[in-house]
Amino acid sequence: MDFSSPSSSSNDAMMDQLKNQLAQAYAQEFFGTVREKCFAKCVTKPSSSLSGSESSCISKCVDRYIEATGIVSRALFNAAK
Amino acid sequence: MEEHSMSPELQNFLEQEKQKAMVNELVGKLTDVCWEKCITGTPSGKFSSSETNCLTNCAQRFMEASVLILRKMQR
Repeated sequence: MDFSSPSSSSNDAMMDQLKNQLAQAYAQEFFGTVREKCFAKCVTKPSSSLSGSESSCISKCVDRYIEATGIVSRALFNAAK
Repeated sequence: MEEHSMSPELQNFLEQEKQKAMVNELVGKLTDVCWEKCITGTPSGKFSSSETNCLTNCAQRFMEASVLILRKMQR
């Protein structure tokens, strides 16, 4: 990637592309973590299909994990003040 | 190795994105650790107040512990 004297518009395109790639990488990692946590919590004895209660547990778990991320994030930024 | 000079705009941009990524990594790590400590039962429709307090406390204590450990390592 040649960074020497780029034009302003190719700069912008490059920065947008990088931002997208970073956002994607973050989403991938988040997905992996939530999947691991919620499978562990909700599917304790895997059977021949996901039961209604297992599915419902997974759904709630995802919501709670997202919420936990917000709580931890806010605690971190309050401590930084 | 040839050195290309990067525009200040790009340098700033990369630095910002690096900082953002570091913050995201920290939040991710903290959430992981504190979820394990604080959310012990089956997930429900909302957190109890003791769960939210635990998560908040955990995050803040983790950061304090980090500072403590860094200080010890600097002696």
